[in-house]
Amino acid sequence: MRPLNDREKRTIRFAGIGIAIYLALFGGFQVWKFFDQKRSDYRQLAHEAQNLRRQARPYRDKVLVVKKLMDEFHMDPAGLKKEMVVSDASAAIQHAARAGGLQLGPVRESPARGSGKTLATVQMESSGQVPAVLAFLAGLNRIGFPVVVDSVQFTADNSRPGQVKMNLTIIILDFDRQKSEQPKNLEAAHA
Amino acid sequence: MKNLSFLNPPPLYVEIGQGSLKALREDDGMELTLERHSDGRLTAPCKEKTVLALKNFLKAKNWQPRIRAVCAVGARGVSLRRLSLPAGTREEFHQRLLLQIEGEFPLPPDELAWGCQPLGGPPPSNGIMAKQELLVAAVRKEAVADYHEILRACGTDPVFTLAALARSNLCAPAVDSFTMLDIGNSQSELTSFENNVPTNSRIIFWGSENVSGSAGAKSDALEQAIKNSLTGTKLIVSGNKLSEDFTSRLTKTLGNGCQCERLEVAGGKGRSAAIAGLEKFAGQGGPALVIRLEQTSGAAASLAALDWKKWGARIGALLTALLLLPYAEALLLKPHLAKKVAAFKAEAARLTVIDRELDFLRDLKSSQPPYLDVLYVLSKSVPPGTRFDSLSLNSHGEVSLRCAFHDGQQVADFRTKLIDSGFFANVTVEEQVPTPDHQKVNVRISAQEKTLTQLQALSASLPADETGKGEKSASPGVKPPGVATAAPTTPLVSRKETK
Repeated sequence: MRPLNDREKRTIRFAGIGIAIYLALFGGFQVWKFFDQKRSDYRQLAHEAQNLRRQARPYRDKVLVVKKLMDEFHMDPAGLKKEMVVSDASAAIQHAARAGGLQLGPVRESPARGSGKTLATVQMESSGQVPAVLAFLAGLNRIGFPVVVDSVQFTADNSRPGQVKMNLTIIILDFDRQKSEQPKNLEAAHA
Repeated sequence: MKNLSFLNPPPLYVEIGQGSLKALREDDGMELTLERHSDGRLTAPCKEKTVLALKNFLKAKNWQPRIRAVCAVGARGVSLRRLSLPAGTREEFHQRLLLQIEGEFPLPPDELAWGCQPLGGPPPSNGIMAKQELLVAAVRKEAVADYHEILRACGTDPVFTLAALARSNLCAPAVDSFTMLDIGNSQSELTSFENNVPTNSRIIFWGSENVSGSAGAKSDALEQAIKNSLTGTKLIVSGNKLSEDFTSRLTKTLGNGCQCERLEVAGGKGRSAAIAGLEKFAGQGGPALVIRLEQTSGAAASLAALDWKKWGARIGALLTALLLLPYAEALLLKPHLAKKVAAFKAEAARLTVIDRELDFLRDLKSSQPPYLDVLYVLSKSVPPGTRFDSLSLNSHGEVSLRCAFHDGQQVADFRTKLIDSGFFANVTVEEQVPTPDHQKVNVRISAQEKTLTQLQALSASLPADETGKGEKSASPGVKPPGVATAAPTTPLVSRKETK
């Protein structure tokens, strides 16, 4: 192979430098593009995380309210089993009545018809002293089940002075049908 | 601030004598022997050895700022002049000072390392230009340049002053003249002071090596050397290797009424009277007289002293970090953040449950009819002796009752009280039938409770003072058992007060 003259050597040197510059620029661009893509993904993720944080922020207060209400009602709605709620609630109502000194009469349970939030209705008759009756009514919302007294009727017990007969209609609510409906207020309940 | 000591390292105190260098940093000290050429300059091996030893002593980190080194230089080669210059602008004053120095000292200012200390001046009077008294200390530039080079090389930022000034800083301020004698190993330094200002400083070739000998002819040599140079009646002697009775012997030898006192200084490696004086200077904000190699303005000096290469590298590193950190953050933190987001999304189902529970419980709470409140209102409104046959209430707020009153007036009163309670929207007496014997009246009444919104609106419209009165007025009377704990009494009170 013949030796290269100076001009050829210079040409090869320039070509080498040119290729090196091209490769450096091209490679540099590729590297920069890679890192920029990573950064863009990260920023998107950070934005998403911020949105999630913003979304979760009100839940701190909501959890506190839920805790307070659960303490008030002695109940965790999510822990209730639908198939057991009616029987357990009925048993708890009767137990509360007996424990309060009321004498129980007939108790009738009827399942709810339609697609409302009611799971069942319990009608019960009982009799007892006025203080015992009032204490029973006051303690009904703390028996650990979602019950609402739909109606109550007091009549004088002529056979036993000082005692009243009470006819109660209690609704047992269904948590599974609650979904995310807006809460109704008393006005809506009265309407 | 102690936590930031790595950013503000403790200063180094150095005393540079003819044959030795003493250094003290905090409680750690060192002493080095110096080798000089016949012209007084340090030899190259001595410089290298000193730099190495000081670096080893300081253990300074490259990233830390330079340690401030406060150095006291000996009297050898130092000239002291007291100058008086007319006051003027800063530039004019500086020019005049340079001219004076050129006139007073054997070398031009460019070849001197010099410094000045303002001494104040006589108060200006009419017709006389205000003057500024100055003490100027100057030494050949090469001598200080060697020290400067060594101290810069071991990572310090040196400041030079006179050792005699540092020693005098330990003495109590005196009005009279006095002389200080610092006794070194082979040489001593004698400095005269007038009004606490050094006027003359010179080297005596007599050192502590001579003290160890008998007190005979050798003490006489010292007496001969200093007797004619003493100023005032006090001679303050300092030095590390002096015997206890040295000052009394010297007083006796001098025999001219001059009292010799010893300057007590804590002993130890790297400690001397000059270094103790430098430490005291540090507490006073630095020495008043600073000998400078270049007389430039502060900003120019600090810019000149900048290590441009080092600072350029630091700035470059910072800029690179600024450019690369966002990308590094993306690479390093993305997996962590992605994991957190995924975990949160997995937990998001629980948020729906919380929403449902909250709605359900709120719904349940708002659906609870206020039966006990109604019973409370009825019990408060009914006249004594009334007989109830039946009472029914439902969740729609409908109330109906059958009862027997004594007469029609009681019925009317009862109805009025129910309306006045503010709890009912309407009260209707559906039927009122007197019994055949006209002793009683059988009544059938129906009423409709107000809605929660109406009750809340009424409660909100009440002024605060009326609410207070309401509470008082509501307190008498007996509540039915069970009501006290369960029934919300505030709305009831509000209802009463709205009428």
